[in-house]
Amino acid sequence: MSYSTFNPSSHDATLEPMFFGRSVNVARYDKQKYPIFEKLIEKQLSFFWRPEEVDLSKDRKDFMNMPEHEKHIFLSNLKYQTLLDSVQGRSPNVAFLPIVSLPELETWFETWAFSETIHSRSYTHIIRNIITEPSEVFDKIVTNEEIVKRADSVTRLYDELIELNTVFSIHGEGVHTFKGRVYDVSMRNLKKKLYLTLVSVNVLEAIRFYVSFACSFAFAERAIMEGNAKIIKLIARDEALHLTGTQHMLNLLASGNDDPEFKSIAQECREDALAIFAEAAQQEKDWAQYLFSEGSIIGLNAQILSDYVEYITNVRMKALGFSEMFPAKQNPLPWMNAWLVSDNVQVAPQESEISSYLVGQIDNEVDDGDFDDFDF
Amino acid sequence: MSIPRIKVNHFHTFYYQYEPTVLDSLEAQEIPAPYSCRGGYCGCCKVRLIDGEVEYVQESLVDLNDDEILTCCCVPKTHIEIELPED
Repeated sequence: MSYSTFNPSSHDATLEPMFFGRSVNVARYDKQKYPIFEKLIEKQLSFFWRPEEVDLSKDRKDFMNMPEHEKHIFLSNLKYQTLLDSVQGRSPNVAFLPIVSLPELETWFETWAFSETIHSRSYTHIIRNIITEPSEVFDKIVTNEEIVKRADSVTRLYDELIELNTVFSIHGEGVHTFKGRVYDVSMRNLKKKLYLTLVSVNVLEAIRFYVSFACSFAFAERAIMEGNAKIIKLIARDEALHLTGTQHMLNLLASGNDDPEFKSIAQECREDALAIFAEAAQQEKDWAQYLFSEGSIIGLNAQILSDYVEYITNVRMKALGFSEMFPAKQNPLPWMNAWLVSDNVQVAPQESEISSYLVGQIDNEVDDGDFDDFDF
Repeated sequence: MSIPRIKVNHFHTFYYQYEPTVLDSLEAQEIPAPYSCRGGYCGCCKVRLIDGEVEYVQESLVDLNDDEILTCCCVPKTHIEIELPED
């Protein structure tokens, strides 16, 4: 089955499964199979922001006054965030668009990936503002062993899915051999790969990102690098939305209501999915050791961050119906919540940052009883 | 209709004081209700609605079972009984 940018058949997209059905024809949103994705798109659009809105001049001074080990923590964290968003800015489009069958889901992928490109732009904005030579940071991302190690597990499943999709698109279903390599592009294997890729994306957005957010906010809790934290707060707000989207897809697939075959695939892939969570949690803990290897910052050290990894991993696993992997514990970083609240950003409502602000929204509901209190 | 009463299992019962959401009422009562985004999409404030009805004041974008509500998105419509998640 080759991919077509416009499938001229007159099929009803609401009868298609989310993935591997007929490719999408008209991008129409008047009737939707899953209105939740349309709502996510609208929410994401209402969140629109630009990094240049945030002033970073004080951050530059703060950064220059930091001791060396804190600079190491700050820059390493920023490098890791840059890597994660470089991946997320392109991969959902490349991996999922060729196989998606619902217009609202297709547009959600595009909206999602677009917002990640804003995140990438904001890292450049931050780095440009706090140090004189941005290349020193960017060039070291691909040479930092600790980052490259994790990049591999972040991207492995994406790459494997994209490879299978490509073979599938040219040669169709079946087992194909090229230059001595065997590609199993049976529908079953494609779907398994898709399911596991979505799990790994969920781990990326729901665990890996949050560990890095904790570091960014820890600085701002001490009233330094506050501009940076303000940007990360906006990024965190977007990421919470993305992970909700991914959780929806995974739960829909696992329920078997969308495509019955996925129910058994989800059961079959259970162990692999758990392994993805376990690997990510371990890598994040190792990263915490590396981050604080030269010294801690007030309020955060390798142990507390590792506890947070365990806590957040449990929360995310529960959301997907898995049992908890680590002993239950309270949130070791209770102040994180204040940074993750979406609409207490103190701005005038006509500015774009307040999430609840939508143009032209009025309450039209008038009830008979509304004027009961009035005496004429 | 009379002022709705909110019963929180393992905590206490109180009258709803017309706070913007159930979550705000729980906080006003110093009940440790979980939350994160307060925008209806992270799912952290999910609680079990055992009895009564709520009215949504903000759209919820999270997968919910029939007996679950997001406290950041609704206000009580009748007397309600809820239970916070364990841990």
